[in-house]
Amino acid sequence: MNKMENITHIVQKVKQAPWRVQLQWVGLLLLGLVLIAMIAGIYINVTARAAISGRQIQLLTGAIDSNKQINADLETELASLTASEAMAARAEDLGFHPAATDEITYVAVAGYTDQAPVDLSSPEAGVRTTLLQPEYSETLFDWFTRQMTSAGDE
Amino acid sequence: MKISSFWRYLTIATLLGMLGVGVLVQIARIQTDPEIKELIGRSSIVVRYYYPPRGEIYDRYGRLLAGNTTVYEVSVSLEDVGDDPSDIAMAAQVYLGQDYTAVMELLLNPPDGVRYLRLADYVSSEQAALLMKMQEELDASPDGNPLAALAFRAHLGRQYPEDDLASNLLGFVTHDEYGYFGVEAKYNNLLSGIPVTLLVPTDPRRAVELPEIPPGDSIILTIDRELQAAVEVILEQALYETGAESGTIIVMDPRTGEILTLATTPTMNLNDFSQVGEIFPGETPFNRAISQAYEPGSVFKILTMAAALDNGTVQPGTIFLDDGVFQYGGEYINNWDGGAWGYQDMTGCLAHSLNVCLAWVATEMGSDAFYSYMQRFGIGHLTGIDLASEMTGRLKLPGDSDWYPIDLATNAFGQGVSVTPMQMVMAASALANDGQMVYPHVLYATVQDGRQHTMATQVVGNPVSMNTARTISEMLAIALETEASRGLVPGYRVAGKTGTAQVPTPYGYYDPELTNASFIGWGPVDDPQFLVYVWLEKPRSSPWGSVVAAPVFRQVVEKLVVLQGIPPDAVRAQLAGR
Repeated sequence: MNKMENITHIVQKVKQAPWRVQLQWVGLLLLGLVLIAMIAGIYINVTARAAISGRQIQLLTGAIDSNKQINADLETELASLTASEAMAARAEDLGFHPAATDEITYVAVAGYTDQAPVDLSSPEAGVRTTLLQPEYSETLFDWFTRQMTSAGDE
Repeated sequence: MKISSFWRYLTIATLLGMLGVGVLVQIARIQTDPEIKELIGRSSIVVRYYYPPRGEIYDRYGRLLAGNTTVYEVSVSLEDVGDDPSDIAMAAQVYLGQDYTAVMELLLNPPDGVRYLRLADYVSSEQAALLMKMQEELDASPDGNPLAALAFRAHLGRQYPEDDLASNLLGFVTHDEYGYFGVEAKYNNLLSGIPVTLLVPTDPRRAVELPEIPPGDSIILTIDRELQAAVEVILEQALYETGAESGTIIVMDPRTGEILTLATTPTMNLNDFSQVGEIFPGETPFNRAISQAYEPGSVFKILTMAAALDNGTVQPGTIFLDDGVFQYGGEYINNWDGGAWGYQDMTGCLAHSLNVCLAWVATEMGSDAFYSYMQRFGIGHLTGIDLASEMTGRLKLPGDSDWYPIDLATNAFGQGVSVTPMQMVMAASALANDGQMVYPHVLYATVQDGRQHTMATQVVGNPVSMNTARTISEMLAIALETEASRGLVPGYRVAGKTGTAQVPTPYGYYDPELTNASFIGWGPVDDPQFLVYVWLEKPRSSPWGSVVAAPVFRQVVEKLVVLQGIPPDAVRAQLAGR
């Protein structure tokens, strides 16, 4: 028996050992389980993160509403503190009195214009910003499509 | 590997595999089971109603007149109520003013299908804070928190920082979030915005961006808060001094129709609208300036004279012999003092407010021309002012079943015809504004999505020519100066006319004692920038408009020239000469 035959014989022996074949199957099965566990883990992780993000969005939405209410409260409170009657009383306490026509001296000031009615228009008028980035709501397929589309645009 | 080891491995692998398969099957079942899907669907999507914050109301210089503040809806979660809800009922009684027995009854026998029972809404922040604090303190209670079932929902409610300032013009919003009276009612749709109904997922994984609910439009009014406050003080003082039943003062810019001030009585604290029934009992109008027509008396003569001048019936220098009586249509007209004033030109007729003269002028003009002019002045028609509940007066016309020829003569001096103060203001704007009659309005601008839309001036007619308007202004200025009227304002030349009208009774005759005292005037005569109308209803200290209403006009003008920055005539002339 030459050297080559010996090697073939050993390989055949090892290959044909039943416990080795069975061990391979068990290994494959366990590998499958590990893969399933990994996928399940990733799924749970992504889902949990999505849920946390969603919850944060809900909380932030609530915070926005709350801030709007606080803003309205503060604006109204400020208006109450500076109400006509309150301001008149404060001015009186400080020693002022309403000016009469004969107490006023008019001085010509070049470029002076009378007090104009208020302009409450906002510089940001019409600018609409999206609160949620697409990453928070799109699916993997949406993301892939967006990437492909944007890649095509670039 | 031994056989036994192999079986052990296989058993473990099989168990793990079965477990994995079981998990997958369970996931699939949860995803597909109709019962579970229904359960998930029912709880994960809720219908929410979003009411946009009501738009704010500002004066012309941006000072807040009507805003919003946080109020609370206090409810009880019935699932969390224990066996004994007496603590909740007690808290509701103490902090919310609820009836203990009624609350107990509701909590013990709630309506079917109700999970949350609303105890009170529009609870102030202060009250709610007290209740929340108590609930928090009871959290540490060893027997459990008896107020744990209380739930609070914050939302915005209307708040008027100036309380009763300009109340008759603003109107108010009730707890049904609807505006009543004034601009709150007139612009309710604009202010309230559009409520939105949304399906909102409660599942955080399905959180979606809620569309931004635009708030109601804010509006900027033409009134000046400081002037409004000052005029209200003047009116209150005038009522006190004259004993008048009510009073109304309107200040308008005759060039634009912008109402700078509208003060009338009674007023109310808009934050406590529950008092409205007591303050305005029966037929009492909420805003007399637009909702109460009355016979204006001699202030109406400015329209008669303007019409006659424009028509060419008379000239300022036309002489009339006043013998104290004018017979027309089988009736006799007398002057206010019953006297004869002899030869008078038309300025004299206005200066002495001669009924006889004006009746003659109207009859000379003829009923067709007279009533045509009155209609062009808007008498008998709504002004269309942007305030809720405007009423029109009555201008009887030839052909009406209750019109008689004598009406032409009496209408000439403001009797037998009824107008609202606002109608008189609009009509007079034509005389103060070179013949152009402007639409009176209180809306200066709206603000929507950060953009301001300003109202344009609207001319609603040219009842008389520019020449006529300037002539009548000059005549009225001379008339005031001739009479040394109490309406004269030092430093400012003004045109004006007093009015003292008899008050008709329900029995068809005039009350022998009661009068309506009025004054209408504008200035400065060479460049009118303000038009002021004063009406005191049934004054007691004196029946005459020249005595009770003219001084009020002067006080208002003295205040407004300061606040509006209108220099005296001499200063203006100096500045113009530079």
